[in-house]
Amino acid sequence: MKTLLGRRVYAVMLLAYPKDFRSEYGSQMLQLLRDCERDAQTRIELIGLWIRTLFDLVSTVPDEHFQNLRKESFMNKLRTDLIALGGCVFLVALAFVLLSYGRSHEVTAILKFGFVLDAIATTGILGNLIAFALMQFTSIRPLKIAFWTFLLVCSVPALALLVLAGRDPKFQSFNVVIGYVVSFFFWYGLHWLWSHKVRPTPAT
Amino acid sequence: MRESAQKPEDWLPLTPAMFHILLALADKERHGYHIMREVDERTDGNVKLGPGTLYGSIKRMVSEGLVEELEERPDPELDDERRRYYRLTDFGFRVAKAEAKRLEQMVKSARAKKLLPRVKAG
Repeated sequence: MKTLLGRRVYAVMLLAYPKDFRSEYGSQMLQLLRDCERDAQTRIELIGLWIRTLFDLVSTVPDEHFQNLRKESFMNKLRTDLIALGGCVFLVALAFVLLSYGRSHEVTAILKFGFVLDAIATTGILGNLIAFALMQFTSIRPLKIAFWTFLLVCSVPALALLVLAGRDPKFQSFNVVIGYVVSFFFWYGLHWLWSHKVRPTPAT
Repeated sequence: MRESAQKPEDWLPLTPAMFHILLALADKERHGYHIMREVDERTDGNVKLGPGTLYGSIKRMVSEGLVEELEERPDPELDDERRRYYRLTDFGFRVAKAEAKRLEQMVKSARAKKLLPRVKAG
């Protein structure tokens, strides 16, 4: 029973390997562990086998990920990511510049969109940072990450502002909500366009 | 596969795990567990290949044309059908031979420096 539990634990630990490697060799690795467990005559041998297997896993997982990055052409991926990140920084900076110019020169045409620009700038910084980090370090689909990140980043401050300042007669609830809604569609729309233009989803 | 573009010497030095796997496959095709057992027995238990090291090395050697997977199992009635067998390619054999020669040269140098005892002739 204990070895069966051990194998289940090992099966879970195999998730640390890249998906391609796991699907190609995961079942063989489990089979190998099963064979080795069968050979272990004593409890000490079994413990030794497990310690070796764990060390082996810890030492080979980074290597497999590194090989995977090389296979995906690391520099190409890095260049694409840097272009995307640079684009986001540019848009956030543009929103800030427009907003501050509109406020300092009292340009009505810009101030009309002040709530939207405000929301785009603030949610753009936070949302893109979170989304970029998640896209680098997890295997979740980029569009899914973008959707949930911007939904949270846009809805949480909007709700918080409504709750905290909603009773203030000067607070323009409607404009704030519109600003964050537009901001969500703006950033998610950009991510959607980017993923369809740069990383087309494979045909099923 | 880089077989056609590369010389066996381009692969040297091999990692110890890769060389052990090539040695294990030099005389016959084997599946993963057999390779691991062969290495363990040949080295008196001093080298124990873990699953990640074994299949990581196999993956690289298959993709580079040193080792190939058999489409049919040699003894279909004797073992588990899920097992996958591997064998050396001609290129893999040449790489193993080149590495063995390189190691032989190293041993010769070690003998010349009296790090190893000289082999008595006859």
